Formats: sequence, C-alpha cells, structure tokens
Amino acid sequence: MMTKRTGRILSRVLLHTTVIFIAFLWLIPTVGVLVTSFRPAQDVGNSGWWTVFENIFTSARFTLMNYKLVISRLGIGRAFLNSFIITIPSTIIPLVVALFAAYALAWMRFFARPFIFMVMIALLVVPLQLTFIPILYIFNKLSLAGTFPGIWLAHTGYGLPLAIYMLYNFISGLPEEIIDSASIDGASPFYTFLRIVLPLSVPIIASLVIFQFLWVWNDLLVALIYLGGTPDVAPITVQISSLVGSYGQDWELLTAAVFISIIPSILVFFGLQRYFIRGILTGSIKG
Amino acid sequence: MRKLMLVLLILGLLVSWFCGVSFAGRTVSVLGVWGGGERDAFMKAMEPFEAATGIRVEFTGTRDLPAVLTTRVAAGNPPDISVLPNPGQMQEFARVRALVDLGSFMDINKLRNEYAETWIDLGSYEGKLYAIFFSADLKSLVWYNPRAFADAGYDVPGTWNELITLSDKIVSQGKTPWSIGLESGAASGWPGTDWIEDIMLRIAKPEIYDKWVNHEIPWTDPVVKRAWQIFGQIARNKNYVYGGPATELTTNFGEAPNALFTSPPRAYMHKQATFIKSFILKYNPQLVPGKDFSFFPFPSIDPEYGVPALGAADMFSVFNDTEEARALMRYLATPGAQEIWVAQLGKLSANRRVNPNAYPDDLTRKAAKILANARTFRFDGSDLMPAAVGSGSFWTGILDYVSGEDLDSVLKRIEATAVDAYKR
Repeated sequence: MMTKRTGRILSRVLLHTTVIFIAFLWLIPTVGVLVTSFRPAQDVGNSGWWTVFENIFTSARFTLMNYKLVISRLGIGRAFLNSFIITIPSTIIPLVVALFAAYALAWMRFFARPFIFMVMIALLVVPLQLTFIPILYIFNKLSLAGTFPGIWLAHTGYGLPLAIYMLYNFISGLPEEIIDSASIDGASPFYTFLRIVLPLSVPIIASLVIFQFLWVWNDLLVALIYLGGTPDVAPITVQISSLVGSYGQDWELLTAAVFISIIPSILVFFGLQRYFIRGILTGSIKG
Repeated sequence: MRKLMLVLLILGLLVSWFCGVSFAGRTVSVLGVWGGGERDAFMKAMEPFEAATGIRVEFTGTRDLPAVLTTRVAAGNPPDISVLPNPGQMQEFARVRALVDLGSFMDINKLRNEYAETWIDLGSYEGKLYAIFFSADLKSLVWYNPRAFADAGYDVPGTWNELITLSDKIVSQGKTPWSIGLESGAASGWPGTDWIEDIMLRIAKPEIYDKWVNHEIPWTDPVVKRAWQIFGQIARNKNYVYGGPATELTTNFGEAPNALFTSPPRAYMHKQATFIKSFILKYNPQLVPGKDFSFFPFPSIDPEYGVPALGAADMFSVFNDTEEARALMRYLATPGAQEIWVAQLGKLSANRRVNPNAYPDDLTRKAAKILANARTFRFDGSDLMPAAVGSGSFWTGILDYVSGEDLDSVLKRIEATAVDAYKR
C-alpha cells in the first residue's frame, strides 16, 4: 500500500520535472528575446542577454526605448489595421467555403466525389512558393495585384486544402443517424448543414480559426509578393521586417516588435483555446 | 450567418475605399533593400523630388529583394524602378529585355562626364546603359583605434610585410592583433569572401580576378589557392585572431569591431567596408570618427599590383517606362540627390560632381578619395557569381576553412558547385 502510493508520487514527480524541464528549454529563446527587447542597443551589441541575470543589481540596464522606437517608426496603427483587414476575411472566407465543401464531400452523393476529394488532398503538398509567378500574373491581368481582395483570394486558396481535409474528417465522423433523421423529418441538405452540422462542428471550427488566423497574421512573403510594401497596404509583418537595415542593423528593434505583433495572436489563441485541443483530437482520430 | 455577411460587406466597403485612396495622384514605385535608418535616409533624399514634381515615391524595402523582384518581373508586375543587388542580376534582366534603355531618355554624354568609366561599364549591357549607380561602399579598409595604436607605439602598416610584422609584434607582447566576425545569420561567411577578393586583387592582375569571377579559371587554380592561404595565415591563426577561430565563427560581423574599443583593447585591427562605421557608432556612441577610430587601406601584397579598391554599390534600373519613372531616374542621377543620401548614411557617392563637403566627416571623405583615386576598381566578386556559389558554397567554404578543414577539399567542393552553377 505504502510502496504503491510512494511509487505513484514518485512517477508523478518524475513526470512533472520532465514536463517543467522541457517547458523551460522551450521557453529559453523566448525569454532571451524578451530580455533583449528591454536592453539598450549598446548593451545588446556588447554582451549576451543572459549576462543580465549575473548583474541584475549592478550594471544591467533596462529601457523602453526599443518599444518607443518601434511604435513611432512603424506607423503601428495603420500596420495593425492592414493586418486585420487582411487576416479577418482571409480567415472567414476559406472557413466558410471549406465548411460547405467538407459537408458536401462527406454527406452528399454526386459525380466524381472521391476524385475531387483526392485532388484536394493532393494540393496539400504543393509548396505555395510554386504558385507565386502564375497567380501574380493572373492577378496582374485582373488588376488584383496590390489590392486586399487579391490577397484574400490568395490566402483562401492556400488555406482551403488543409481546412477541407480537417473539416471533412470531423464532419464525416458525425453519427449517420442524426443526418438521416433530419432528412426523414424533411430537412433540406442546406437546412441540415445550417442547423445540425454547423453547431456540432464548433470545436473544429475554432481550431481552424486559430490555425488560419496565426498563419495569415504571421505571413510575410505572400503579402510582400501580392500586396507590396507601401504603408497604406503593408501588414505589420512587412513593416516589422523593414525596421532592419540591409546589413541587419537595428535588429534589436525586432525583439520589441515581435512582442507587439503577437498580441492579437495570443488573444485569439486564448479566446478559442478551450475548443482547440478538442477540435484537433476529434479531427485526427476519426480519420 | 447574416451577421457574417454583414461583416464581410462592411470590410469590402472599407477596402474599396482604401484602394481608392492609394491610387490617387501620380506615383512611382521603387523596390529596394533598405530598411530602418536607410529607408528614412532614402525617403529624405526623395523629399525635394516629391516637392518639385508632385509625384509620390512609394518605396518598398525588403531583404528578400532577389526573390521578390524575380517573381514580380516574371509575373509581369515589376516595380517602376528597382535597386538591383549586383551587375550580374542587371545583365540577366537586360538579356530578357525586362529593363528600359536609359539612353532613350537620359543624356548619356552628361552621365559620362559625371561618372567614372567603371560605373558606366558596370551599368551597361551590349553597349546600352541600363543602370545608374547611386552610391558605393569601399571594402578594402582596415579599421583601427588611433589612440590604442599611439599608446602602444604602433605605426600604420603600408605594406603586407609591415602588416604581418606588426601582427607578430602585437602577439609577442601577449596581445591579439585582429578581430574578425564571420557570423551573419543565413549569410554567415560573407565577411571572409571580401578578404579573399581583396587578396586576389593584390596577388594577380585584375583580368585574372575577372576570370576567377566568371569561372574561366577553376577554384583549384594556384592563384586562388594562394589567396586562401594568405587569408588563412591570419584567419586560422589562433594567436592572431581574438578568441581564435571558434570566436571568429560565432561573432557577429557587426559586433566584431567592438573588440577594438575595450580598455585594454582586446584586438587592434579589423577589416571591413565603409558601412561598418554606423555599427561602430551605434554600439559605441561616445567615439569620434577620425579620432577614436579610423582606417588605412588594406595594404598591397605583391607591389606590382598596387592597392586596388574593392567595393559594392547600389544601382537603379527602370522596369516600367512611365513619365514618373523617367523623372525620378533623372533626379537620382544628380549630385543633389546623392548628396542628401551620402550625408545621411556615410556612403560614398558614385557621381564625381558630388560636393566633398556633403560627406558627414573627414573619415568618409578619405574613403571617397581612396575610391576615386584607385587605379583598379573591382566589384565585389561574390556578388557577381551565381547565387549557388557567390552566396552559397563560397560562404560555407569560408566557414569550413576557418573551422580547420583542409584547403584542397574546401576548394574542390566549391569548384564542384561552380561547375554546375555556371552551366545555366
């Protein structure tokens, strides 16, 4: 009895130490960036961030200068606004399309359904860099290059395969009886989708929102290619990258800039977190 | 669902409004590599142009310039004007007729008067001028701390032998002569390529240098090998370099000069281009250029080849032949535009007529003089080579060599990638 309990406690302690240790290792770079963001530029160049802990009561100096500079140089309001204008539709549009598609692929019978699904899955492995030139060419012909609708379309295209795949796994795993009884009661496929499938899919929708939001919010290259970097359209990532000189001068400003730019991502994540794990697990197990 | 539609509608309206705003008025789009202080300086140089013409300059700066530019050109959506990373890239674009012949709207004779022959040649392809040079960086410099030199009683070396004698003397006094930093993120190793190029120019004719850059002589050629050995004589010598090769490999190039300004100095000399001044001042704002830090030309090795100048430069080309682009291009070529730019950044101007007083200090004027008077000038070789070599195996080769790998195997590996890369 005693030994069994000590054994359990011991394994618990072991587990927790391991978890804490891994979490600690994982956090080191982030802590480094955080500490650096509060150090004066001179000190950043002359000593490592970890030296702060040795001299915390003596020579270590802290400043808010990096944050001040970032906010004043970035035109931060406009950059944030642009990022939201890009990210919100680029999250909602692919999600809506993918929901319809996944429902149709899972529960409706139509011509070449498996083939269409396979093509979707195959698109998962196409690197998006491959599409830059042809898509920019088309956008250019349609005068979509450098406009927000253009980049919404691009992100929709890039987001769809994964979104459809995850939603399909989830929606096709819903109990057949529910769908059947709805149609016996006279519900049209659209009504079934709206009243039954949609409410049941909230966890997976939440996880997809997190994925897509983070991906679009953090994207630099897609925005740079399709939108360009002029201040009236550039999202925060593009603005942040132009804080740094061509030889990498002023990189310590980046450390402050990233902490400013991750605020919305963190809010979205914590807002939807309680659905997140559930969504991922259900999606993956019922494949 | 209805709410969602409403949100979408509102966003759509917002966006069409923004798009409308951004296309109002006459604009010219410029793509470049500059960010931070450089971008501010460029926009400052554009102010008189915008005020005089009412044309707005829309500048986009990205360090991914080659990728973004190539994509946009291939997709038929290039910027009106772009900075080009190097003459090799300019020739590629000229070959596929992506560039506008500057002779069609600029006075070539006037340009020939104002720019040295080298700059005109580097900006031309098949007899037509496609690029003008805006500013340059001189690379063949060794930075030192005049106060530390005076305290220790050292003289500025004028020849390679004097340089090595001085280095040995510093070592014999238990100190370290050199500080070298090769780390630069994904571009680590590039500071070493400048060493090799500068040494190549000092042990062979400029024509041989050109052949090496164009891969008409192999990397295993005795001349190339000798250049690497001379580099290794300093860079692989643990007594010569502060912290030895290990520190050298992990020190950021921008932070390496800091070793000259500690007390007592951790090192006495540092080879780097003119732009390093801004790094030195940033990390050590109390220093006065010319008094607390200065430079001497990287000395001659084989006397017959003298003291050539190695450099890199910023060049502009036109991709869309619009009125606005023509106007901006004419402005960029003027001494007035370049004076603002060099005064802000301490770069060197390419235009001969730039007033020397525009330079922010004597040190920069001195560098401009060295550049103007150099009998031989060559463009940074690694910038001219295909990317697989010039920003690939050459960089990693430097790191492998400094970390102790056998020279022959390093050179063989670079040669193997070069054989592939130059075929295309």
